[in-house]
Order: sequence, then C-alpha cells, then structure tokens
Amino acid sequence: MSHPEAAPGRPSHAHPNYILIWVFLAVLTGLELTVAFLPWPKTVIVFILIGMAFWKAALVGLYYMHLRFEPNRLRILAIAPLPLFAVLVCAVITEFIW
Amino acid sequence: MAHAAAVQEDVMLPPPSRAPGAGVYSEKLGMWIFLGSEVMFFTALIGTYVILRFAHPDAWAGHPKPHTPLNIPVTAVNTFLLICSSVTMVKAFAAAQDGIQRQLRLWLLATVLIGATFVGVQVYEYTHLIEHGFVPSQGLFGSTFYTMTGFHGFHVTMGVLCMIYVTMKAFRGKYTQADHRGVEVIGLYWHFVDLVWIILFTIVYLI
Amino acid sequence: MATTATGTSPFTYDHGHAHVDDRSFIRKYIFSTDHKIIGIQFLIMSLTFLLLGGTLAMVMRWQLGFPGKPLPGGTLLPDTYTSGGVVLPEFYNSAVTMHGTFMVFFAIMPLLVGVFGNYLIPLKIGAPDMAFPRINMASFWTAVPAGFLMLAGFFVEGGSAAAGWTSYAPLSARSDLTGVHLGQIFWCVSLIVLGLSSIMGSFNYITTVINLRAPGMNWFRLPLSIWSLFVTACLVLLAIPVLSGAAILLLFDQTIGTKFFEPTAGGQPLLWQHLFWFFGHPEVYILILPAMGMASDIIANGARKPIFGYTSMVLAIIAIGFLGWGVWGHHMFQSGMNPTLGTTFMISTLLIAVPSAIKTFNWLGTIWKGQITFHVPMLHALAFVSMFVIGGLSGVFMAASPFDIYIHDTYFIVAHLHYVLFGGSLFAIFAAVTYWYPKMFGRMMNPTIGKVHFWLTLVFYNCTFFPMHQLGLHGHMRRIYDPTQYAFLKDLQPVNTFISISAFCLFATQFLFAANFIMSWFRGEKAPNNPWLDNGLEWTLPSPPPHGNFATVPTVYRGPYEYSSPHSDEDYIPQNVPTPGGGYGSPHPQHAGD
Repeated sequence: MSHPEAAPGRPSHAHPNYILIWVFLAVLTGLELTVAFLPWPKTVIVFILIGMAFWKAALVGLYYMHLRFEPNRLRILAIAPLPLFAVLVCAVITEFIW
Repeated sequence: MAHAAAVQEDVMLPPPSRAPGAGVYSEKLGMWIFLGSEVMFFTALIGTYVILRFAHPDAWAGHPKPHTPLNIPVTAVNTFLLICSSVTMVKAFAAAQDGIQRQLRLWLLATVLIGATFVGVQVYEYTHLIEHGFVPSQGLFGSTFYTMTGFHGFHVTMGVLCMIYVTMKAFRGKYTQADHRGVEVIGLYWHFVDLVWIILFTIVYLI
Repeated sequence: MATTATGTSPFTYDHGHAHVDDRSFIRKYIFSTDHKIIGIQFLIMSLTFLLLGGTLAMVMRWQLGFPGKPLPGGTLLPDTYTSGGVVLPEFYNSAVTMHGTFMVFFAIMPLLVGVFGNYLIPLKIGAPDMAFPRINMASFWTAVPAGFLMLAGFFVEGGSAAAGWTSYAPLSARSDLTGVHLGQIFWCVSLIVLGLSSIMGSFNYITTVINLRAPGMNWFRLPLSIWSLFVTACLVLLAIPVLSGAAILLLFDQTIGTKFFEPTAGGQPLLWQHLFWFFGHPEVYILILPAMGMASDIIANGARKPIFGYTSMVLAIIAIGFLGWGVWGHHMFQSGMNPTLGTTFMISTLLIAVPSAIKTFNWLGTIWKGQITFHVPMLHALAFVSMFVIGGLSGVFMAASPFDIYIHDTYFIVAHLHYVLFGGSLFAIFAAVTYWYPKMFGRMMNPTIGKVHFWLTLVFYNCTFFPMHQLGLHGHMRRIYDPTQYAFLKDLQPVNTFISISAFCLFATQFLFAANFIMSWFRGEKAPNNPWLDNGLEWTLPSPPPHGNFATVPTVYRGPYEYSSPHSDEDYIPQNVPTPGGGYGSPHPQHAGD
C-alpha cells in the first residue's frame, strides 16, 4: 500500500502480522505456566522460563515497537541500557555467591 | 527535497551530509530515549529483587511450589489481558497509518478499557493478599513483590491516563495519516509497559 | 514559538526562527519555554543553593576550627541546633549532610547541566530551541519544589537528614537510631522529584543534539562543551533513575516497614551502597564532564589556538562516559565487599585515569606556544586544569585498594573531592559564568573585580583544602564533630584552625563574585555580540539573543576551534563563515601550523 512521504517516520513496509505475534505470545505464556510446575531441576526451569520471557519481550520489541524496521541507530539506542543491568546484577551477586 | 537540489548547484554550501540525526522524528526519538531511563529505573528495582533473592533465598521458601501466597492463575489471565492490550494498541497505530479513523478510535478505546481492567485486577489481587497477611513489611518477599509490581502498576496507570488523552484527541479527529505521532509515541510507552510485565510475571510469579 | 504545528522533523531544516515574543511577563519570564530563560532560572536557583551550601560549610568549619566555642549568631538558632550558641553534634551531622546534598544536587549539577546544558546546546548547534520546550519548562518547575522540600527538612521535628549525603542504610532508615524521621523522608522524596526533573532535561538535551543540529554541524564539528554536555546527558538519563529506585526502596524502609536494608530480616546494607554508588560514580562524571568541555572552549579561545587533539578529546569524553559505569566499587573498598570484586574495581579505576590524563595533556598542548589572553574566564579555566590535576592525582592513590585502607573516610578523601569539585567544577563554573554572562545578560562582568575574586579564591581555596591531605594521612576521620576527643588528633588542631580561617576568607571572597554578578546585570558595560572573539554560533547573535535564536537557519562550514587560521586576517573564524573562493572549509578543525 502507498505511504505518502509527508508523514515523518513513515515506514515503507506492509504491516506485520500482529495477530500471529499475539498467538506466539499467548502460546509462550501458556508454555511458561506449564514448565514452571514441571518436576525438573530448579536451575533448568529458571533458564527456560527466563529464555521464554526474553523471547516474548523480543517479539514485543521487534514487532509491536517496530524495532525490526527502524534505522540501526535507533536499535542501538534502544538496547544500550541493557548491558548496564547485567553489569550491576552480575557484580553485586558476586557478594553473595563467590 | 528542495535543500538537496540546492546543494548540487551551490558549491558554497557544505557537502550534503547523511540524513541528519537519528533518522526518525524527534518525538519518537525522545520517547525511546526516555524509555532508556525507565529501563534503568526497573533495573534498580528488579536488580534489587534478583540480588536479594541470591543473598537470602529462604525468604522465598515455598514459592512458587509447593505453596505460594500469590494468585498465579488470576495473574496469568491478567498477563494475557495486558498482551491483548498491546495488540489493540498496535492495531490502533496501524489504523492511524492507514488513515482509518473509526478503527483508530475503537482500538484505542479497547486499549484504555483493557489497561484499566489490568490495573483493577492488580488492585483486587493486592487487597486479597493484604487480607491474608502478605504485606510489604512481612519480609524480603513482600518488600520486593509490592515494590516491583506496584511501580509497574503505577506506570500502567500513568499510561492509561495518557491513553485516555490520546483517545479523546482521536475522537476529535486530531490524528491523520499524515501526522499521527501521538499515537505512535503512546504506543511505544504502552508496549514497553507490557514488555516489563512480561519479564516481571515470569521472574516474580513463576520462579 | 519555535516548534511549529508539524513539530520538529529532521527531514526539513525549517526549524523556526527568531521573532519578537509579545506574550505576558509571566509567559515570558516565569513559565517560559525559552531555553535561554530556563537556563537563567536554573542559574539563579543554583547560585542560591551554592550560597546555602557554603554557609553550612562555615558552620562545620567553625566547629572544627573552634570546637566548643559559640557560633557567631548561634544563639539565634533553635535549641535543637545550638546550645548556648555552640553547635550541637546533631546539627553538625545535619550540616555535613546538607552541605553535601545541596552542593552536589542543587548547586553543581544544575549549574553545569541545567544552566549550561539549557543555555548552550540550542545556540551552539544552530537550533531555535530545545526539541521539547514545554518539557524543558516542566523540568525547571519540578526542580523548584524538590529544592523547597529539601530545605523544609530544617524546619521539621528531628531536623534535616543527617546520615551523610550518601545516606547509608540502615542508619538512614532507622529513625529510632538517629532521631531524624521526617528529615530523612524529605531527603528521599526531594531527590525522587529532582530525579524526574533531571530525566526530563536529559532526554530533551539528547534528542536536541541528535536531531536539531543545523546543516553542516556534523558530530565532529561540535564544540567540546556540547560533546561533554551530550555525554553527560546520557549519564544523567541512565544513572539518575537508579538513584530514584534506591531512594524509593529507602523511603519504603523508612515508612512502610519494608526490609530491603534491614539486616535482621535478611536485608542487605551493602545493597544500598552498591545501588547508590552505581548511580554515584556516573554522577561524579556528570559533575566534571561539562566543566571539562566548557574549559576546553575557553582555553582554545584564550590561547587563540585550536584545541590540541580534538578527536582524542571527543574519544576521551566518550571513554569516560563508558568506563564510568564500571568503577563504582572504589567507593566501597572498606565496606566489607567481596575483596576480589574490589580488585576488579581497582583495575578499572586505574584505567579511567587515562582518558582524563589525555585531556590534560591536550589542554597543555593547546596553550603551548599560544598567544594567551589572560581574560578572567581564561584564568579560571587554567586554574581548573591545574587544580583538577591535583585532585586527579590523589584519586590515583585512592584507586589502589591497599592504600585506601588507610585513607578511606579520612580528610584525604575530603581533600580529593574538593579538589575535583571545587578546584575542578567550580572554577570551570566561574569561568563559564563569566564567559557567557555577556551573551546571557547583554553586559560584561567587571574584569577588575573578576581578577581580584579569582586570585583571592585561588589562594584561600588552596589554603583551605591542601592541608586536608595531611590531616587525612595522619588519620583525621571525616564527618567528625569533635576531633580533639582523640589524643592522636589533638596536635593537628592548629591545622584545623588554619583551614577554618582560610575557609572563612574563601567564603567572604565569594561575595565579590556575587556583587560583580548582581551589579553588572544593571550597570555592567554593554556587551558586543562577540566580546571574546569566539567561533561559536552563539557569538554571531546579539547579546542577549532574540527569542527563537537565529533569524535564518545557519549553515556550518567548519569546526569550532579555527583560531589563528591562515585562511583569515582575523585570528578567529566563526563556524558559519564559508571559505572565500569556494570549497567546503576544513572538514576537521584547523591544526596548528597548517
């Protein structure tokens, strides 16, 4: 479909299939609920759950927040704060587990 | 654009530079940058939770199995609702991009209603928990639970208020296919709030 | 107003132009959206808090220099502060805490970021105003209630916060231990509110620098003042929310009985320290980077030479911005933290000295063989470099955790922090205020008073703070009400008295600056557009510039440091001047000898 150039930030792609992403999110949520109560080792469950949570977050970020289609400069800006979380948490956890 | 045409003619002007700035309009850039600060705010709260859980895991004994004070089924439905509100939000934005006013207004309205319901369910869960003695001062579990979910809920509430403002503007026809920046910008904030909840639900309720 | 109906799109250069503002007095000067007015509002607010913070320091220095003697005017203070005019220990702790709090949060930070970030960024990049002028206004008017709330602490039962500007928990959470309840709560709430103000400012500055630069203003033609303000804004954006989060946790411990920092319930005092310093270390770079940037602009101007090593200066600013996130533990070496973690922080802290050293050598390279004009801003900027070096060198010692065992929480630290914050930031602020005063107010500050103020300040400042190194090495601890209670410190009392007298003289000298500032506003010599013969875009405009800044969008052809260039008869070329005879001007700033 045509997009007039007058509008700022106008994307030049067709709409992603938002409903399909919604289905993925719902399925992942259901899977999380199942995995959380399986009789597996705690560490395994934690890794799987966190992985799934990040997967869902990535879907929201990439498709609903349109990062998939934005200029690289904006994508770098968007993820820039994340390493700081890792630095803070990993450093301080060593107070208790090392 | 006219400026580019002038540059080819006029050697007195500086060489044509690459697209200035971030390549997106300022309001969108500003919202992404603001969201960076929100990431750091939740870093402090979520980081505290992770750190305290490593420091003193006994405070979470029994959670989530075999017996948690939290209501996981209700919150799971609430999580699903918030994800639905992200869908309605992005559908509203798509309608704005396509210039379909009626759909824009209805999807925005749906987002407001679902968002408000989410907050309502959270408040209901809080009153239930407090009645059963699970309060912020009970220990590390209560302290971290209420702080993280409470500030998330506060952000959702602020989002709902802004969303009402945007919806009212949409009903007055202020967003067009040529200029619907307000819809995109509130959408970014709304999806961010959903994204944070996706993380919170997992690490607070299920782990 | 500068923002048109379609907003500020990067895809056209039609930003909005200079025009006469014919709105009411309130819309023009009180609830203004003009970045220049907002910058001046922050200036008045911050200078007031600077005076207040200095006054509190005088209370501290009185007690340390003349222990047990009645404070002049002390009998006017309530019984909870003084007894028979003598400063009480509780009031002393309060003064220590609020001196630090006011100076860091309400004086230095807003002076550098709120004043000069606001004033300089749009002008120096060729924009009509900030990207979000109304949010800019909201940022100032959020800072004001935060300031009032912090002040209010002095007037409530229990007095103001008294747990140090670092407010370590659980002491700061336990009013049953300190006797201070509301004061500590106000401290937390005030900083949370101030945090909102800072965050609003920061995303405004960042968006403005990224998206509103005039045509030809490439990243590597930005003045170093703007580079440093940009990186500082990024630090503010990412660090302040962590403080807000920590302050909220502390507030909840204080009010609703949460257990974040309560050891008996599994809470972790070290968590407070880690959160606070994770914010606190980027904060100190927030307090120095704009000073470095503005000093660079002024030094190049005073030396009539390009900045030596512009690119490495930019990379050093960025490096400091990055590395600053990985050093916070050096404030905690003696806290009982994991020693191996401490070692990693020692290494990262020693590393971060490198970019600052690069900058120092580049400043020296800039003035080397320059035609130096010793105008008042240049004097202050040169003092900045030398005093900052002293502060930086003591920092290198402190970075070594074995050495830190002996001098942590002593006056050695107090000496260091005052050398970088006063010797560094404040001298740069004096330089910057004097330098941009003509642009802000259309008048020159009196240079004679300026020079007298400078020399007296430099002498009294060194007399006040240099001996503190010695005190610290002798074991004189920080934040102590009565050092004479320890036999090993009794012999140092004359040093304390000397420091106190120097401090009183230093404080008195600042009234010269205040008088100069106020009198020049009404009676100063009228300022031309470009009194310092500087290349920045703001100097192409009238003093003060009109609302909306530029009549037409400027086009930038060159970098900001083309002093003494062979391309011109003048010894400076403003950034918007094209090269005669065609060509695009130099893509990088002029190098000496080209």
